[in-house]
Amino acid sequence: MPELEQELVALGRELAWPSTPAIATAVRSRITPRPGVLRAPWYQSRWALAAAALIIAVTALLAYNPTREAIADWVNVHVLFQRVNVLPTPSPQPPGPLGKRLGLGAQTTLAGAANDVTWHIEIPTSLGSPDEVYLELPPGGPALGEVTLVYSTRPGIPVAGETGVAVLITEARGGINDQFFGKMLGPGTNLEEVTVRGHHGYWVSGSPHQFVFIDASGTIKYETMRLATNTLILDDGGTVVRVEGNLTKARAIEIATSLG
Amino acid sequence: MEGRPEEDSELFARAQRGDTAAYEEIVQRYQQVAFRTAYLITSSAAEAEDAAQDGFMKAYRALARFRAGADPRPWLLRIVANEARNRVRSSGRRHGLELRLADDFRPGDAAPSPEAAAVASEDRQRLLALVNALSEEDRLVVSSRYFLELSSEETAAALGIPEGTVKSRLSRALARLRTSMDEEASRA
Repeated sequence: MPELEQELVALGRELAWPSTPAIATAVRSRITPRPGVLRAPWYQSRWALAAAALIIAVTALLAYNPTREAIADWVNVHVLFQRVNVLPTPSPQPPGPLGKRLGLGAQTTLAGAANDVTWHIEIPTSLGSPDEVYLELPPGGPALGEVTLVYSTRPGIPVAGETGVAVLITEARGGINDQFFGKMLGPGTNLEEVTVRGHHGYWVSGSPHQFVFIDASGTIKYETMRLATNTLILDDGGTVVRVEGNLTKARAIEIATSLG
Repeated sequence: MEGRPEEDSELFARAQRGDTAAYEEIVQRYQQVAFRTAYLITSSAAEAEDAAQDGFMKAYRALARFRAGADPRPWLLRIVANEARNRVRSSGRRHGLELRLADDFRPGDAAPSPEAAAVASEDRQRLLALVNALSEEDRLVVSSRYFLELSSEETAAALGIPEGTVKSRLSRALARLRTSMDEEASRA
């Protein structure tokens, strides 16, 4: 190395750099879930919201005695009354792009979706980058938007139905409540509580068709499962993550564990 | 028995499987060079800290796209430096960075006599002043390549320019430094 360059390297070793902060520690705390730290007061809990909605409905019933459908319309809690005895059959897929056929919203990229939503989109490292990304913003989608990651084929995961999709991961800000979506499950569908990285979730096996969660604005959102396969639902620090596919419970949990 | 430090590739493989401790170890290894690179770009320790932290978070989310077996330094530096440049652009602020010698700099340790030590100290101060006086573009390429001792590939990744441009900018900056040194010598 010529003399001037050697001098510059020697000079660099004598510089007064600001001390390096503990970035690794800060990053670790940002990527490690801390269940319970941000627990909301009891009166903001989903139980309290559900109880309040029920009281309103009962009060209205006593006062006016209208039909229960009318009450449901007023308070937007159809889900509280709905019980499913016969599972709906998925309708034949319309032609067109996957996003349109499954009602996933507009096709975008990971970077595009990350720019358009204010929250962190989690990517499962075990599946790698998605093959397609879709974004559904309000009013069609829930408050703060819903992002769907599409994985067309992955080793060891059979493609679901007519969709040509192996795994769908749907993410939206909000929370889940088994009292709500538990009522949407038909006979032959099982609901099992699971914990993934300290986060509460559910493994829904059989053929779930419907799903309910509460979005970021507190609105109850009622959605159809896209693949009608086994589904893992996770409340991942305020993001409701749905992993759909012909997956075993262990594989679904492995995918969810790698979300980051 | 002392354990062998884990290879980067092993750490990345673990991190890609969701092992947050492995990713913390990766950040630990590269946080200094990433922070200093961001400091050269932002000219602010606070901005550099934020840029490095957010850059490592972005890298974490993009782990799936990291190619197994690749050298992680250019990849991480590119992400952190991008974050630093975005911060400079969005804040609209541009501080002039004045690099200075460490207070505990003692050329006497290596110099054969007190006089030689004084000359060495003055030479270093003079050379640093000339680097500080370079245009930002030249200063960045010189600081990245020689002060941080980044490779050409890493410098290109950090500055967001092709490797060929790194080489031509370096050659131009070194020529300017030599000219300035000659002018100073002739004035003396």
